[in-house]
Amino acid sequence: MKKHRKNIESERSKDRDNNSEETFNEETPLSDLLGDYNKDSTSSRRDFLKLCGFSFAVSALASCRSKISKVVPWVIAPEEITPGEALYYASSYVNGSDYCSILVKTRDGRPIKIEGNPESGITKGGTSARVQASVLDLYDVGRFKAPSKDGKSLDWNQIDEEITGELNKIVLEGGTIALLTPSVFSPSTEAVIEGFLKKFKGSEWIQYDAVSYSAMLEANKITYGRQVIPDYRFDIADLIISFGADFLGTWLSPVEYARQFSSRRDPDLSMNHLVQLESNLSLTGSNADNRILIKPSQEDAILLNIYKEIIKAVENRDIDVPVSPVDVSGISKKLLSSQGRSIVISGSNVKRIQLLVNEINRILGNVGRTILFDSYLRTHNAIDAQMESFVRKMQEGRINALLIWNVNPIYTWHNKEAFREGISKVGLTISLSGTPDETNNLVRFVCPDSHYLESWNDAEAKKDLFSLMQPAINPIFDTRQMTDSLLKWTGSKVKFYDFISNYWVKNLMQRQTEFSDPVAFFDHTLQKGIFEPVVTSKRTEGQMDGVHNLPFDPLSVKGATNPEERSVEVVLYETVAIGEGRQANNPWLQELPDPVSRICWDNYASVSPLQAKENDLHDGDMINLGGVELPVHIQPGQAYGTIGIALGYGRKICGKVGTGTGVDVWPLVTAIDNILYTRQLGKMIKTGKIYSFAQTQTHHSMEGRAFVREAGLSEYRKDQKAGNELHTFYTERNKSLYKDRVYPHHHWGMAIDLNKCTGCATCVIACQAENNVPVVGREEVHRVHEMQWMRIDRYYTGNDDNPGVVFQPVLCQHCQNAPCENVCPVAATNHSSEGLNQMIYNRCFGTRYCNNNCPYKVRRFNWFNYTAAGTLSGNLRDKEGMTGDLRRMVLNPDVTIRAQGVIEKCSFCIQRIQAAKLKAKNENRSLLKDEVQSACAQSCPANAIVFGDMNDKDSKLSRLISSGRRYNLLEELFTRPSVNYLTKISDKLL
Amino acid sequence: MGKSSSVKYYVYLILTIVLLSIIIPAYPNIFQPEDSIINQQKPGKPGNSIGSQKITRSGDSLLNKQKPGKPGKSISSQQKITKPGDSLLNKQKPGKPGDSISNQQNITKPGDSLTNNQKPGKPGDSISQQNITRSGDSLISKQKEAQKNDSSFYKKTTFFTEDLIRGERLFYGLAYPKEKSINCAGCHNIRTSDTLNWNPDALEISGKYLHKSAIDLCVVLLKPMGKKLSQVHKGFELTAEDISLIKAYMDKFVNTGLKPAKPVITNLLLLIISSVLFLLSTIDLIVKRIFKQQKINWAILSITGVLITWILAVNAIAFGRSRGFSPDQPIKFSHAVHAGQNKIDCIYCHYSARSSRTSGIPPGNVCMNCHLLVRTGTRSGVTEINKVVSAYESRTAVKWIRIYKLPDFVFFSHAQHVTAGGIDCETCHGNVKEMNRLTQIPNLAMGWCIHCHDTRKVNLSNEYYKTYYSGFYDTLKTGKIDSVSVAAIGGRDCGKCHY
Repeated sequence: MKKHRKNIESERSKDRDNNSEETFNEETPLSDLLGDYNKDSTSSRRDFLKLCGFSFAVSALASCRSKISKVVPWVIAPEEITPGEALYYASSYVNGSDYCSILVKTRDGRPIKIEGNPESGITKGGTSARVQASVLDLYDVGRFKAPSKDGKSLDWNQIDEEITGELNKIVLEGGTIALLTPSVFSPSTEAVIEGFLKKFKGSEWIQYDAVSYSAMLEANKITYGRQVIPDYRFDIADLIISFGADFLGTWLSPVEYARQFSSRRDPDLSMNHLVQLESNLSLTGSNADNRILIKPSQEDAILLNIYKEIIKAVENRDIDVPVSPVDVSGISKKLLSSQGRSIVISGSNVKRIQLLVNEINRILGNVGRTILFDSYLRTHNAIDAQMESFVRKMQEGRINALLIWNVNPIYTWHNKEAFREGISKVGLTISLSGTPDETNNLVRFVCPDSHYLESWNDAEAKKDLFSLMQPAINPIFDTRQMTDSLLKWTGSKVKFYDFISNYWVKNLMQRQTEFSDPVAFFDHTLQKGIFEPVVTSKRTEGQMDGVHNLPFDPLSVKGATNPEERSVEVVLYETVAIGEGRQANNPWLQELPDPVSRICWDNYASVSPLQAKENDLHDGDMINLGGVELPVHIQPGQAYGTIGIALGYGRKICGKVGTGTGVDVWPLVTAIDNILYTRQLGKMIKTGKIYSFAQTQTHHSMEGRAFVREAGLSEYRKDQKAGNELHTFYTERNKSLYKDRVYPHHHWGMAIDLNKCTGCATCVIACQAENNVPVVGREEVHRVHEMQWMRIDRYYTGNDDNPGVVFQPVLCQHCQNAPCENVCPVAATNHSSEGLNQMIYNRCFGTRYCNNNCPYKVRRFNWFNYTAAGTLSGNLRDKEGMTGDLRRMVLNPDVTIRAQGVIEKCSFCIQRIQAAKLKAKNENRSLLKDEVQSACAQSCPANAIVFGDMNDKDSKLSRLISSGRRYNLLEELFTRPSVNYLTKISDKLL
Repeated sequence: MGKSSSVKYYVYLILTIVLLSIIIPAYPNIFQPEDSIINQQKPGKPGNSIGSQKITRSGDSLLNKQKPGKPGKSISSQQKITKPGDSLLNKQKPGKPGDSISNQQNITKPGDSLTNNQKPGKPGDSISQQNITRSGDSLISKQKEAQKNDSSFYKKTTFFTEDLIRGERLFYGLAYPKEKSINCAGCHNIRTSDTLNWNPDALEISGKYLHKSAIDLCVVLLKPMGKKLSQVHKGFELTAEDISLIKAYMDKFVNTGLKPAKPVITNLLLLIISSVLFLLSTIDLIVKRIFKQQKINWAILSITGVLITWILAVNAIAFGRSRGFSPDQPIKFSHAVHAGQNKIDCIYCHYSARSSRTSGIPPGNVCMNCHLLVRTGTRSGVTEINKVVSAYESRTAVKWIRIYKLPDFVFFSHAQHVTAGGIDCETCHGNVKEMNRLTQIPNLAMGWCIHCHDTRKVNLSNEYYKTYYSGFYDTLKTGKIDSVSVAAIGGRDCGKCHY
């Protein structure tokens, strides 16, 4: 077994603990019983007793009153809706360049949960945290509620009249109308925009992605002759060399890639090998077999050296390159030994680097094998130069009308002042975005777009893989789809729904042979959500049709700025949750701890431990970096000399939740040819201020205990139980005096494959959405009052400069010898006949003995009234507006809303177990194979979580449990959990 | 027995009685036996007394526009209940804030509440009133012949208390000699009671005519249009003054609601008497020793002690539970007529009970399946059915008052019990087929649930049970056991209902 060491930060914080009493001055909840976070409140014991007496009296009286409630039936009931039954609609999630094929669960007409669409050829049933959380955006009171002109609400007819008049006038006068959108990959939206451009002569359409892949597109144009992003097949590749591309977290199509990658992490099959060269400790880097720390400025030289060694071996040519800062011979050798079965990728937005990457892939013969063009990715089309020239045009006053949809350049564009100046020179400015942001704060007309759950649309995220988007609810506010607005202004009488169905019948129907009736075709496709016609591939292995694959000298292209020896290099990145900042107003995502740093509600400057020591920096010290002031987080695994900061925070106009959360670091983005997300800066200046993070995990070491068990692949091949010797030891040693309780009917259990889990935290949000887990806000997380039932523990192993990272999702283990059950004085938590550890909220009266006695620390206590379900007034803690009437619509009616003063915890999604059983009974059958799925298992893009009946010997779960890799968390305590973990098998090749 | 001590004795007694008479009326309902509440509207529950008034008041203001897909209904609807007098039948906007304010002000001033046109200063109110009186004017000419008296009475807006008393006497049919008298209260209830009385009650009528002129009431009383109405309202002789006084009297119902049914006091009396006896004999035992035979005291103490404990315990258990809850519904819907006489299957209307957790209240279109043709009830005439039809035609939902309601922390699925369990509706809901007004039969306490789970036998022939409960299934076939209860297959697990 590997020895797991602790890291600097935890040692340091331990010192702090010993030296000062500061750590213990956590405000007692008592002191603010009487006031709202009032530190000065001098509540004495007498006050407390008075309050106790009062609250007892109030609650006693309150519980006696039986409220009169009403039932309001439908006047005319829709055929498909049965009150109390869930109804699913197949749809697509599209937000900027994020895409996922989904199923929307609606209850009584309101969407409450998103599931992945297992039929999709792209996402294959996987989802991401952002997709899971998107349903909450629908119920955002901060959205635009009606169209407006100069801040005054107008009705749609008036606004249409005015806008059409002005647009036509501009065209008559020979003016230019510009349409600014993110990458559009919906065929019918493209058709609508084309119609718009045709109608208004001289208008132009600019696609702009804040997080740009422009260099890649341009490089592909040169190398392959096609300006597209290819279809990377991580499921075929044996070796993946990634230069800072966080493809498991945020890069291009992470849901798809996570599934592909994880499908190759089964040690019983052939495992793939991932080498990550990066500065920040990204999610992908955390999952890499080998991780090499580099500065972004060194990427060019490293790639050149790999290039040199590869062409030397393959083409027998020699070129002159600068010296590599790291030894690349190992990587090159591996690459050469897996020609045609490897992928080299880079997250850089520098054209030369992408050209080098392309060239390496070409020489290795990967193109046509692991890098395909049949079904290329269509989600990223924006070219930075177009936006650059457009902004220039605006500044010169050559744009007369600007229509902005779903992009926020005032927040994200590197030259904000230029854009601000430009937009002030445009006569007619119209925003079609659905939510207020920094940019549409400056426009005259706001014509709000509907949320994607209220809209019709289609998507072709990858070539020839189509999917449809359909509304699951009528627009909540007076909003209208952007496409409908454009159609209207174009003078078309058709609604977008008719447009889209006509488009499909006209353009896509002939590609199938199943239906001859257009209505049947469209309805059937709508029901499935996807349309993936069979395309006969024209490629033979290694050869691409229509893709030229000629040698090209990447050295002929100018490189990035020469690396200067400056103090620090800033590397800006997207987090898994917030991304570029589109969903910054989503409290679920804001409260989702970063997978690696475990900090939520903030961004920060990640500094390497060595650099922190040199500069005398501690966690939470505020620094000034190129005019941006933000706190320092000492991040093991951060490359020395680099600082990683997340984009997407510090929104100024965004809504209640996102406004002012974190620090805006978009001003640090620069551009030379393309937008650059890395930057060299002089020095970081310590300001002397200290900031305190809301962090959900403050101890990063396993202290030598084997929570996560690891083994090398070669050891595993020799012995299945490698790294898991303790399991045999404890299983033999632990004996009980009591007779085993048997669960003859069902015995629900779970297996979590730590080798597949990437730590992406999708399960955390899925659980939160399914089980009505409250949002508590930054202050409460800071006081360790977070409520998420599922947490993903992250431990560092090895040295602090480049540690190994392991993730471990921890939820209630549903122990068969549960320590919590023995100590509850009122038996509010006990064991069911199906092996579940039940938590009965109405019986719980909040002693928290169970919480204390739980070795896994998975129980959560409702310290305050987070859900507005309590009877006592004045205890509501709802900074984020989650208890508003609209936000509450997202609640799952099958799960109790917990009130203040009770413990809650993972229930194994008992509502789903019960629902599946009931369905089986009513259909007079036994349960189908793996029919019962917990929310976490269903949402997992990596298939790392498997839920099922341990009594069912044929189930996927039983197969995993019988594996030699299976162990339980803290087995030495003999709690006999129903949650099983499978050891992590890594393959360190270098 | 000394004189001073006997005085002391009486002082004790009087004090006790005074004390009890103070305490007990404060919580009269506690001491009512559960069953006595069944046919009443939970009259005096603390915190409920207001609620019940609101219910009866809102009885008329039912046809609020439905907002589909908007939960939080319960919250808003409860707010709406508090708005008295928003009669939708006269198509005024139900949710106008101005309305409710003015009405509430009416409540605070007792004299004002009796009349409508008193507040000319109130913008929303006065305009509508003027409109109505104006439309009434045109009617006056038509009605002139019918009126022997001055029609200006119809416009009368201020009434003195003596007017109201006369109005009440007229309503009760006491104002005229016997052969001429018309007893309105004989048909139109002024107390809450079972809806076996199919005629609209005083509250309903008052709600309907609150914002209308007395002329309209006059038309209905003296020249009714409907067949049934013209039969029963035959030969009425009332002057214009009479009618306006009757209306003035009835208008107050909108604010006060119907009078609660007379409370049953047997249990209360029993409690008082036994408490007094208990105290007396305690005092006697300790202080006075009147009785030579102390055994009598002990006997009294034990009997009254048991009685008191029993009454208190029974009432404490029922406290906060709504067994016997049987409110006035917005429409006098009779399950006895539909499920009993017409033998409509429960599942026909409550169709979602088979597959969903809720049994569902039938939507308007299900009602109209029959009421497209059935427009007259044998006893209710057209009044009640018209409510359904007009609600359907104006696309507004009927807001029923929920009777069976479990707390949020209980998960109950009708599908589990009806389809999988094969339990008859009557098992839990009682003999609905004989109920004109639906009443909650069980107390819905957990003990009641558990009792059934413990005793009910499961039909193991379902494929599901055969697969997962094969042990039970096989033993059952061998005959070793004769039945398997719900509890045996996990029906006592907390997590079956609480999650």
